[in-house]
Amino acid sequence: MAAVIEAHGLTKHFGRVHALDGLDLVVEQGEVHGYLGPNGAGKSTTIRILLGLARATGGRVSVFGQDPWRDASALHRRIATIPGDVALWPNLSGGETIDLLVHLRGGDTKAKAYTDARARLIEEFQFDPTKKARSYSKGNRQKVALIAALAHPAELYVFDEPTSGLDPLMESVFTRQIGRIAEAGGTVLLSSHILSEVEKLCTRISILRGGKVVESGTLTELRHLTRTSFSFERDGLTDAQLAGIPGAHDLVLDEGRVSFTVDSDQVAGILPSLGALGVAGLQVAPPSLEELFLRHYGDVVDGTPVEAS
Amino acid sequence: MYGRLLRFRLRRDRVQLLVWGLVLFLMTYTVGTEVRTSWGTAAERASMVKVMTVTPAILLFRGTPQGTSEGDLMALLGMSFIALLVMFQLVFLVTRHTRAEEQTGQTETIASTVAGRLAPSYAVLTLALIATVIAWVAITLGCLANGLPAGGSALFGAGAAFAGLSFAGVTFLLAQLFPASRTVNGWAVTLAVVSYFVRGIGDAGSTIHTENLTATPLWITWLSPIGWAQATRPWALNRVWPLALGTLLFAVCTVVALAIQDRRDVGAGVMAERKGRPAAPGSLLGTVGLALRLERGSLIAWIIAVIATAMLMGSLAGSVVDQLASAGGGAAAMIEHFGGGGPIVMAFVNIGAVFSGMLASAICVQGAIRLRQEEIAQGADAVLSTAASRAKWMLSFLLVAAVGSIVSLVLGGLVAGVLSTSASGGFHTWFWAIVWQIPAVLMFLGVVAVVFAVLPRATAGVGWAVFGLSILFGMFGPLLGMPAWTSKLTPFMHVPAIALPHPQFTGGWVMVGISVVLVAASVLLFRLRDTKPGA
Repeated sequence: MAAVIEAHGLTKHFGRVHALDGLDLVVEQGEVHGYLGPNGAGKSTTIRILLGLARATGGRVSVFGQDPWRDASALHRRIATIPGDVALWPNLSGGETIDLLVHLRGGDTKAKAYTDARARLIEEFQFDPTKKARSYSKGNRQKVALIAALAHPAELYVFDEPTSGLDPLMESVFTRQIGRIAEAGGTVLLSSHILSEVEKLCTRISILRGGKVVESGTLTELRHLTRTSFSFERDGLTDAQLAGIPGAHDLVLDEGRVSFTVDSDQVAGILPSLGALGVAGLQVAPPSLEELFLRHYGDVVDGTPVEAS
Repeated sequence: MYGRLLRFRLRRDRVQLLVWGLVLFLMTYTVGTEVRTSWGTAAERASMVKVMTVTPAILLFRGTPQGTSEGDLMALLGMSFIALLVMFQLVFLVTRHTRAEEQTGQTETIASTVAGRLAPSYAVLTLALIATVIAWVAITLGCLANGLPAGGSALFGAGAAFAGLSFAGVTFLLAQLFPASRTVNGWAVTLAVVSYFVRGIGDAGSTIHTENLTATPLWITWLSPIGWAQATRPWALNRVWPLALGTLLFAVCTVVALAIQDRRDVGAGVMAERKGRPAAPGSLLGTVGLALRLERGSLIAWIIAVIATAMLMGSLAGSVVDQLASAGGGAAAMIEHFGGGGPIVMAFVNIGAVFSGMLASAICVQGAIRLRQEEIAQGADAVLSTAASRAKWMLSFLLVAAVGSIVSLVLGGLVAGVLSTSASGGFHTWFWAIVWQIPAVLMFLGVVAVVFAVLPRATAGVGWAVFGLSILFGMFGPLLGMPAWTSKLTPFMHVPAIALPHPQFTGGWVMVGISVVLVAASVLLFRLRDTKPGA
């Protein structure tokens, strides 16, 4: 079966600015796919193309095997979205907006399944649906979009920084909802730059930079590309002994502790030599997503295209 | 800090202030030139004023007859609508810098700096004063450029400018009351239009002193800032004291508003936000429901305006005919200017119908501009991310505007028809003359929709420019002495003129066809481009 989202060599130019510059992205059925990148990397542009709001300049892109530009409205029956910048009609109430958006997605707002789901989400998100949208705070506007997206089931969920403006309690409510979607076999594309969120929720990750996906895979796969960090107490070991550890990089001595990094696929190889040295207080830490991320963005260069929002 | 805020605002508005100044100058200059060239002799002016004194419908839209000098005619023809323009300018200026900024959070950003709570407001009020002075100077120069006496010119400019100033105060007060800038603009513009018609009623019902062709308006005129502007009677009585009334209104509103502002939270209004429905009613579900809901308020206001205009025209027709018949002399020349030939009453029916059509076309212009506003505010993206197609979204908004304008004209036609007698045109003539404006009105929808599809960023600018020029060329073109071909550019010149001999229906049907083609083209063209949220 074809992937849910498939993009190859996708480009999008705004005049001279190349917002997307040969982007490849594959999201398989049932994945919760983290879409990571700094501001301006092209996350929102990708999503606008996937939703048929913007047209790719070049390359191939398909959603459920269809063209997101040409078949936009047919595809949208199967997609739920949360835009990066939730804008609401100021004089509609939150409840009215939710019902309207669900109806436009093809949902039946009179159906019991919907009214139940809606009531449950309003309860869980502690949301007041009777206020006019113009008087909602940022977090509450976000809740309108969340409830509208979650109250009616979809096959694909496209979320652009869905938890921005939410407090930690509401973030955990959102996490639970993603769990439910994943259990039900739904596919999620989750654009974010909150790494802990992505680390917790996502089964696969694509890292975007300068309009290209620079890394894609499961978190485990990506960890192989980086180094695992080791540290232990020095305890009188000589410099010569420490220098003899095979494959150790970035050796640092600090307050009596030795720390260094090892290529993640070399970890097993150095354990015997550590055993031979009889090290004490050994700590081994797999690379965090943050390190992965910083490895790609640590030297963010000028001239990164400005994200079209 | 106050100085810095003021400089910041001046910088932001410098182009707008300049353009407004230029527009006001040109407007004034054009009216003055027309007065000078079309009614150059005292006798011509006397016959012109004489006709107007017996035509309440014209006085309603113009002013108070105050004599027959060039200046008197200038005041009669120009003061009320130039003053209204200045009022609009200051309403939008004040709202833009007060409630609109508060709504978008800019006020909060400034409030969290070392600026005092009221410093931004003092800066805005100063800006309003500066805009008033610019308007004053521009209008005065417009008069002087036509060689009108300096004292009267300065007073004419001051009258119009102070009417605007008083509304800067009114708007500033309204901005404290309502939490949404759109509500503030809506109320302020409505009040401005009301004050235009309040003085209009006073003028239409004024007591005419035939011996020197002056008039004393009804007391009701004194309730209107535009009435105060007219009361200065520039070039005739040269009264300065009515200016104090506008200043007083400005001062009172400002003091009350500052007191409110000093006590309320940033972002809040005195009028609390009403609660909404917890769930959507069936009428809201769907793109047409959404469009209708968003347009409802302005649609009702415009429909009422069209019906009121038609009502006025229909009911005034009879008395106009009687009075014109007894006025003799200059009547023929007048009708040539306003109606396009034929029996007097029929020419009047034609004017009434075209005028109703012009108002109704604003519904279409605004409806098509709403597409762009929705795109900017990302409502378009929200809808287009659902199963609703681009064509459906676009056509829903266009449909609501089209039906709204058609309803307004049909109702207007019915009301005008019912109120007219057989001597003043009769039901049939009035009804069909007004209903046949529909093709012209729909043209605006098609044109602005195409602009939206092709040049989205120009939608509002081009839309209102097309509307304004059509009115200028169609209604005031002949009056202002513009070449004949300019009036051919406006759709209203191509509707079948039911009231005049030999109405040409072809033009009407052709315009219906063009409108349909333009709307269809706009939908196809919109499907070719990215949505472009954000201004």
